[in-house]
Amino acid sequence: MARLIKTEAVVEGRTEVRWTLVEEDSTPEWPADQPPGVVGEPTTRLTAGARLSGSARYTSDMQLPRQLEATVLRSPHANARLTSISLDAARAVPGVRAVIGPGDCPQFDGEAVLHDEPPYGGAAVAAIAAETREAADEAMAALDPQWEPLGFVVDLDQSLENQTFQDDPVEYERGDAETALAAAELTITSDYLAPAQLHNSMEPHCAVADWRPDGLTLWSSTQGIYQARSQLCGSFGLDQEHVRVICHFMGGGFGSKFGCGPEGVIAAELSRRAGRPVRLVLSRRDENLSTGYRTPARFSFTIGAGCDGRLQAVEASAVMGLGTGGWAYPVLEPVKSVYACEHQHLMTLPMRLNLGPAAAFRAPGVMEGTWAFEQALDELAEAAGLDPLELRRRNHTDVDPSTGRPYTSKRLLESYDLAAELAGWDARDELRSDGRVRRGMGCASQYWWGGGGPPAYADVRIGSDAKPVLTVGMQDLGTGVTTACAVVLAERLGIRPDQVTVRTGDTDLAGHGPFSGGSMTLASVAPAVRSAGHHVRTQLLELAADMFEIAASDLELTEGEVRSTDGTLRRPIHDVTEKLGNAWVTGSGSRAPNPDGMAVNTFGCQIAQVAVDTLTGLITVERVVAVHDIGRVVNPMGARSQVLGGILQGIGFALSEERVVDPTTGTVVNAGLEDYKIPTLADLPEVECRFVGEPDPELALGIKGLGEPPIIPTPGAIGNAVAHALGLRLREAPYTPRRVLEALQ
Amino acid sequence: MRTFAYARPARVEDAAAALSQPAARAMGGGTDLITQQHRGILAAESVVDLRGLGLDAIAAEGEGVRIGATVTLADLGRDEAVRERFAVLHQAASAAASPQLREMGTVAGNLCQQVRCWYFRHPDLTCWLRGGDTCYAQVGDHRKHGLEPGDCISVAPSDLAAALLALDATVDTSSRPQGIPLADLYRKASDENRSTLALAPGEFVTAVVVPRAPDASAYERAGERHAWSFALAGVAAARFGDQLRLAAIGVSNLPRLLDPADPLAGLPGLEQTAWKRRLLSGLAGQALARVSG
Amino acid sequence: MQVELEVNGNRYRVDAAAAEPLSALLRDRLQLTGTKVACGEGTCGSCTVLVDDRPVLSCLTLAAACDGASVRTVEAEGDLLDRLRRAFTEEDGFQCGFCTPGQLMSALALLERTPHPSPDEIVTAMSGNLCRCGAYEGIAVAVARAAEAPA
Ligand SMILES: Cc1cc2nc3c(=O)[nH]c(=O)nc-3n(C[C@H](O)[C@H](O)[C@H](O)COP(=O)(O)OP(=O)(O)OC[C@H]3O[C@@H](n4cnc5c(N)ncnc54)[C@H](O)[C@@H]3O)c2cc1C
Ligand code: SF4
Ligand code: FES
Ligand code: FES
Repeated sequence: MARLIKTEAVVEGRTEVRWTLVEEDSTPEWPADQPPGVVGEPTTRLTAGARLSGSARYTSDMQLPRQLEATVLRSPHANARLTSISLDAARAVPGVRAVIGPGDCPQFDGEAVLHDEPPYGGAAVAAIAAETREAADEAMAALDPQWEPLGFVVDLDQSLENQTFQDDPVEYERGDAETALAAAELTITSDYLAPAQLHNSMEPHCAVADWRPDGLTLWSSTQGIYQARSQLCGSFGLDQEHVRVICHFMGGGFGSKFGCGPEGVIAAELSRRAGRPVRLVLSRRDENLSTGYRTPARFSFTIGAGCDGRLQAVEASAVMGLGTGGWAYPVLEPVKSVYACEHQHLMTLPMRLNLGPAAAFRAPGVMEGTWAFEQALDELAEAAGLDPLELRRRNHTDVDPSTGRPYTSKRLLESYDLAAELAGWDARDELRSDGRVRRGMGCASQYWWGGGGPPAYADVRIGSDAKPVLTVGMQDLGTGVTTACAVVLAERLGIRPDQVTVRTGDTDLAGHGPFSGGSMTLASVAPAVRSAGHHVRTQLLELAADMFEIAASDLELTEGEVRSTDGTLRRPIHDVTEKLGNAWVTGSGSRAPNPDGMAVNTFGCQIAQVAVDTLTGLITVERVVAVHDIGRVVNPMGARSQVLGGILQGIGFALSEERVVDPTTGTVVNAGLEDYKIPTLADLPEVECRFVGEPDPELALGIKGLGEPPIIPTPGAIGNAVAHALGLRLREAPYTPRRVLEALQ
Repeated sequence: MRTFAYARPARVEDAAAALSQPAARAMGGGTDLITQQHRGILAAESVVDLRGLGLDAIAAEGEGVRIGATVTLADLGRDEAVRERFAVLHQAASAAASPQLREMGTVAGNLCQQVRCWYFRHPDLTCWLRGGDTCYAQVGDHRKHGLEPGDCISVAPSDLAAALLALDATVDTSSRPQGIPLADLYRKASDENRSTLALAPGEFVTAVVVPRAPDASAYERAGERHAWSFALAGVAAARFGDQLRLAAIGVSNLPRLLDPADPLAGLPGLEQTAWKRRLLSGLAGQALARVSG
Repeated sequence: MQVELEVNGNRYRVDAAAAEPLSALLRDRLQLTGTKVACGEGTCGSCTVLVDDRPVLSCLTLAAACDGASVRTVEAEGDLLDRLRRAFTEEDGFQCGFCTPGQLMSALALLERTPHPSPDEIVTAMSGNLCRCGAYEGIAVAVARAAEAPA
């Protein structure tokens, strides 16, 4: 029986309380001693066929009959007022089917989509739908917008001076930091400046809208089809029944694609007006100007500790550049929650700037905060004359230091030990030299949430061919969740994962589900999948019991067969299912809540080895040892890939990625992939990756989650390794050749 | 993007005629031309594809080598004779851009490509070099720019130019088939004429000639990541007997011949580019060390 | 203008605008949407296709310049390409798959020219294809493995 319950969930550092519908779940847990079949075996991706043949249809590939192409006029100024625009001239261009300007477009999440006072360079002002891209371009030229440029602020310090906040400042206090600092035996102060990192998913934001009298269908490159649906309902005043959002394949999101985005609203409005389907694909430049970024932040720490390196007090502030949107991402969480430290006073100041809105980017806040704080800790270790890992061990905590709650599981100390051993940590000083190339090694701890939670639902059906179809309310960004779900179902039904068909990414298919983010997806949906699979399994066994006249409790499903526990019966599952004819056996499941009163976190440690070329200034990350405690690993192959992906984005942040804003015009000068440099294959280090966690005893299926953890410690470990190599610390990332050579000057 | 007409003539004279039309542009691989057209930096009305002219051979000539204008960087990089006798050229051709861009980009296109200054390439700004009045870089962010003060502080981007300048190459053009020194292909942009190429209207490069092979040569460059990055600076060295030629890109407007005894001469550095002096002197030292007999 | 070209073994005659990139011709006119366009300005490699066996960026290649050319895209068939597909699957050489068509085409061009590339040759040949998901290790191993596999 379904019931409504109240649950608490931590989503990227924000605690949300929500009501959710859950089913009674009688699925037995996996026995602790017996590995559950295919779970934990390396499994190749189910989507391989489609993605490697070119047949996978991404949103930007959609071509509906009579589809129009859309383009968007964006402001060239950092801040301006639109004084005139010739929408009618654009409408007169042959082939143009709809033109909208400020005031013609519904809002998106309560914010203007088309601006008459565009507050940043790249803000949308008008949009055009035309038969061809050429016609749209011609109409764009006909718009002839006139601007009155306004004053702007793109500098963090100036915004702080003006006290223009984009979100409420966050203050956190425990104990009495001021007094404790004054009394501390050791104090260090240090500053760090983190850059704005642009997501640059390979598939840009895009939407294809088909507005018809009976409802709206939107294909969207999104991490949240349900969120997209509610946003569209909000924008256009439609009922859920009349909005369908589809995302079958998407080319990456990394946090920048929650919901339908302004592009979804623009495409829908154009389609509504033109009475034709409309496709809007952002250019790489528009993507980088308007769809979000990891917030740049200036960190200041004052740390007080005993001579033994034990933390006593931290005062810290973080000034973040949110641009014109986003929220106060938990940049100081690594200070607050990773180590034992009684006295803290933390201030987060989210500033408004005339730049596009910030957005969550893989471990938002926590990654850049870890980068800064883990380096400050190394400075403390040096002041205390301690090995950096030893310093971290000494400050270990067994309970969440801000709430006092116990962890559902925590294997951080084990992570340190294993990482140190694999990296050759104890011999790290032998790497150092005075030559042209200088080597060093550094470490950083990883902390993140996880564990997932409701709502998540799954439906399974199996017909006469014995090939189950699994429907899950979610979308696969490319993280491999689809494959992991198939693994979980395959275990229950005693078949191979590749025999499962998984349907996702369509709001009409499944009722509701989580968005893909915060490392929550798999931990949320897998238990629902297993429970749905279990219902089907129970029914199949009952069917088999009738057929073979053996008690269901003496039967099991393994390796594609129905077997009796005494070994006398072995028949293909197909022998049972074929009796179904055209009927199906179905089962559904939902996600139960996590235990109350406990902290659910993932932990880990990475150690990076770098080589700094003091002639060219170029840094090579030679090796990264990554040890993470993520609970149960459902598919080690997919998990390793997630770790590699995180590490590479971390390397980009540390070494080459940085949005550059021109101080005099306030516009971004490197909004393309030439001057904004993400890592290539040639930048890939050797990676040693291990998972220390066992299945978390308190969580459904023991899964904690893996999307964000691997990126979190990488930049900090690199920063510490560079300092170890050079004997001096670079306080601003990325560590480009210029910054390295300037430091060596 | 502005639309344009496309022609692919088969004879040099036809190409020259087509290029003497107003707003006509020569095209090699199109990798720079098309992006400039996209961003509204160029407004070509017709594009004359030079790849039908049969200028795509690499052939020994006297003691040196003649390289057709439309030879691709990839073919140049794969040429065995070039690799053995003109190491610096092989290395420069193999280090530039990405594999696909090297398959497309041509030798002449590479030499004639526009600067990569991020203000010049900005679709919403018209800087001095593009015909406006302001050099945004000098008042703004010029961390990757040159070491030389001037109206424009952007840097020569072509890796091949450094190598060919060190090799003392000449360039044949449609109207000057006898050839001109490579350095004369370039000019400093002025208020009256913002072009950095010294070609007459309609004139185009047909070949590059390296008159003789050096005894030793080498290319040293530094980029922003381990592959696919324009050179922050690139230094080419060639030794002919006891004569040394040293040339650099990434440090001044035009490819620049350096004094082997004092590579930094005349390159004081700007507010945000002093770091490049250290880089340049390091690369120069390294390149010289590699060619010293 | 009229362009006659062969794509994946099929001959087409299309009326293309002079300024139209090959990527648009493939995706919009021939419905071969496997080829992806992630930047449209030569900076990512996702649009890589083979034109007369060379890996080129279809976003910067004029369709008009492909008259008489033979083009291959990710939708092509072939033993070597199948071997690469298998190796990419087994080595997890992709995540979201958006860069993958370009990766496969660069890999195919490499192995056609250099059947047994060294690790360095693989890195060089594949360094013009960005992958934001960071599937590079799987990609490099897959290319090496496809090169070793018996035909
Ligand atoms: C992302 C990116 C990275 C790059 N990295 C590098 C790098 O690291 N090093 C490097 O050296 N280059 C680099 N390049 C440049 C690339 O190598 C060039 O785009 C290329 O060599 C230009 O060649 P093309 O034949 O395509 O030129 P086109 O685009 O065809 O032409 C470029 C210019 O030259 C003119 N032109 C072409 N042919 C002739 C001729 N025969 N006579 C007179 N004028 C002519 C054109 O009119 C145009 O103005 C990079 C380019 C990109 C897009
Ligand atoms: S450096 Fe040259 S190209 Fe760059 S903004 Fe100044 S004038 Fe323009
Ligand atoms: S789409 Fe062609 S290189 Fe990016
Ligand atoms: S697999 Fe996603 S960009 Fe490469």
